[in-house]
Amino acid sequence: MGNLQKSEPSLGFVIPVYSSVITLLIIVMTCVELCDAVTVVDVYRLVQYDVGGMPFGSRLAALNHHAGSAVLSSGAADLSRTVLILPVRELNLTFIRESIGWRKPLGGLLLLLPLDFSPQDTENIGEADHSSAKQLVKEVLVELEQLLIHANIPYPVYFGFEDDDVNSVLADVKRNDATGQLATATTGGYKLVVAAPEPKKIASPTISNTQGWLPGLKADGGSNQLPTIAIVASYDTFGAAPALSVGSDSSGSGVVAVLEIARLFSILYSNPKTRGRYNLLFGMTSGGPYNYNGTQKWLHSLDQRFRETIDYAVCLNSIGSSSNELWMHVSKPPENAYIKQIFEGFSNVAEELGLKVGLKHKKINISNPRVAWEHEQFSRLRVTALTVSELSVAPELLESTGGLSDKRQFVDEASISRSVKLVAESLARHIYGLEGKTIDIFADNSSLAVNPSYIRSWLDLLSATPRVAPFLSKNDPLIMALKKELTDHTVEVNVQQEVLDGIFTFYDSTSSRLHIYQVASVTFDLLLLLGLGSYLIVLFSFLVITTRGLDDLISLFRRPPSRKMKTA
Amino acid sequence: MTLFHFFNCAILTFGPHAVYYSATPLSEYDTLGTSIKAAVVYLITALVKLVCLATFLNVSETDSFDPYQELLKALIGFIDVAGLYFALTQLTHRNISQCHKFQAVGLGWAFADSVLHRLAPLWVGARGLEFTWDYIFQGLEANANLVLSLSLAALGSLMWLRKNKPKTLIPIIYACAGIVATMPSITSYLRQGLGWHLPKIVGFELFTSLAMAFISWQLFAACQRPSN
Repeated sequence: MGNLQKSEPSLGFVIPVYSSVITLLIIVMTCVELCDAVTVVDVYRLVQYDVGGMPFGSRLAALNHHAGSAVLSSGAADLSRTVLILPVRELNLTFIRESIGWRKPLGGLLLLLPLDFSPQDTENIGEADHSSAKQLVKEVLVELEQLLIHANIPYPVYFGFEDDDVNSVLADVKRNDATGQLATATTGGYKLVVAAPEPKKIASPTISNTQGWLPGLKADGGSNQLPTIAIVASYDTFGAAPALSVGSDSSGSGVVAVLEIARLFSILYSNPKTRGRYNLLFGMTSGGPYNYNGTQKWLHSLDQRFRETIDYAVCLNSIGSSSNELWMHVSKPPENAYIKQIFEGFSNVAEELGLKVGLKHKKINISNPRVAWEHEQFSRLRVTALTVSELSVAPELLESTGGLSDKRQFVDEASISRSVKLVAESLARHIYGLEGKTIDIFADNSSLAVNPSYIRSWLDLLSATPRVAPFLSKNDPLIMALKKELTDHTVEVNVQQEVLDGIFTFYDSTSSRLHIYQVASVTFDLLLLLGLGSYLIVLFSFLVITTRGLDDLISLFRRPPSRKMKTA
Repeated sequence: MTLFHFFNCAILTFGPHAVYYSATPLSEYDTLGTSIKAAVVYLITALVKLVCLATFLNVSETDSFDPYQELLKALIGFIDVAGLYFALTQLTHRNISQCHKFQAVGLGWAFADSVLHRLAPLWVGARGLEFTWDYIFQGLEANANLVLSLSLAALGSLMWLRKNKPKTLIPIIYACAGIVATMPSITSYLRQGLGWHLPKIVGFELFTSLAMAFISWQLFAACQRPSN
């Protein structure tokens, strides 16, 4: 009997309980959309360095803030706890200039580069890519890089790539920002976390100079020291993101040219009948962006008597762009007879190849520490030298040093082949005394032809290896590879290790992993707690009513007064 | 904040057990000992099941539904029923009425199940920064599991402890007990064979657990009547 009575009132309570649970679930679900799993991306940090104690670059590495997009940049919102995700393709440079110039507080900056600038992109194009969109991005990158390198930025700046995960996150963030609400702890959204330790100074960064030697043919009975011709290139780079600075043109093309010239002359010099009466010295120096510090140290390490035997030195800078014009930069005045002779030799060969070579003179100022061209280091030690480059104007400090925009797809390997032929042919005609004669020593389709696949493979290798000198260890695989390659072609290969001069100080932590989390707001958690609390209370009451009766439930709340009444 | 989420999911998963204990007359009759003994029996049963699964089952690489493996899993699932039988009949309880005995055993059983299967993932996963709905669904699943355990315990006590049952109801009791006992297999079939997603499965579990609870309640009440 009692059970029958109990079952009826209980049925009446099932429906409200069920409906309240459902409405609770609906409320809770509207606060946060269903999300996808956490994303992890590789990101590369802006360089951090000091010049003579003055700080430059991004000074922080750890990141832990909510994400925002370019939509917020126009508003006057407080962005000091927001990380802005800005794709470089749609970048507004004035915004960056203003926020850096006026030192606006920002939680962090994540700049997204197009996917074809990625080091994993192995689709190499034989011809240089000249599409206007890419050129536009390249120009933006050059300007952005100069802006970021010369600024002191108190928040972390990272470079990433526009892959699918990041793009979907960015689209979501843009949609949320369009509502005008900033993503903070109370509203939920995406959180970007980079767990990196405090960046430390790199103590005594080493620069490694490699040299190789091809001895010439000593005349019988002659005890005179043979003259030497030096061919050098600087192989290291510097850019806004050291982990991405592959410098295909800015020093990759020079290195490839030196290696190819070494290979060609080693073939010629292997046979004593074709060995010239000049020694050849091949050098790959480091420390290029830092006023050619490595070249200076290397030259000082050479014996002075030996230095005096250097007839002239040819330094190769960027020679990879597809224009037909090259420049020879000299520090001795062009009226100098020797310079005239060398220039004439180059011009003759250039004419045959369809290239145009111009001569540019820049006086060196010994009191000025700025060294714009590599040949100036030779000139300071009174060695005649010249630089062959496609650049017509001397670059400023840390400009054109193989940064973000200097990628494989912008380099034309046919141009490098042509420039190699130009230099090799001019040198050979000088060495063998064939000036003025139109003899093609390194003719195409001969055994001495310039090998395009050799150039391509080395160019591809260099374009996939970031080469910022302070971050290269003493036994870095690249340095070992260059040494081995020179050993194949030349003799007496030497690697000289020096410490980079003290004006430049670098900090580590160049690449990290970025974790993107979708976080729920505090409001959501509180609502959930409220919902669960009410659910448990309802469950409790339901069970008490069904098993003990409604009176018991009421008596739970009325116990204290009834006791008082009893005792009274 | 993420510990907050962990706390929320924990009270969703384990709260109803505590609420059930305190709300019903179980707390008045101090049946905590019975519940703890039932929990221990569940642990032993789980170990035996684990050994059997490891010995007889081969792990398939794909996530597909293999009828033979599932049948084997269902058979091993009946070890659960055996454990429940042991807890209900063999353990010496103090003088508790049958009505409360099955509730205490069911409660202890469900609590041990929740702790064993859900506490570790909750501790490891819900404290992370990333938000997912998974742990809330897991909590709802724990609730459904509690109701199912109680109904299984009720049917079990009807089958084994009650001697005079109306003849017509006996097959229904056994049928319901069979359905409840094979509920895990049905759920895994839905997840792997039909490819249902977690929200759907949890909804299904909640619905069926409430339905089975209602049916077993009616059966229990029906069997109570003759003794009254």
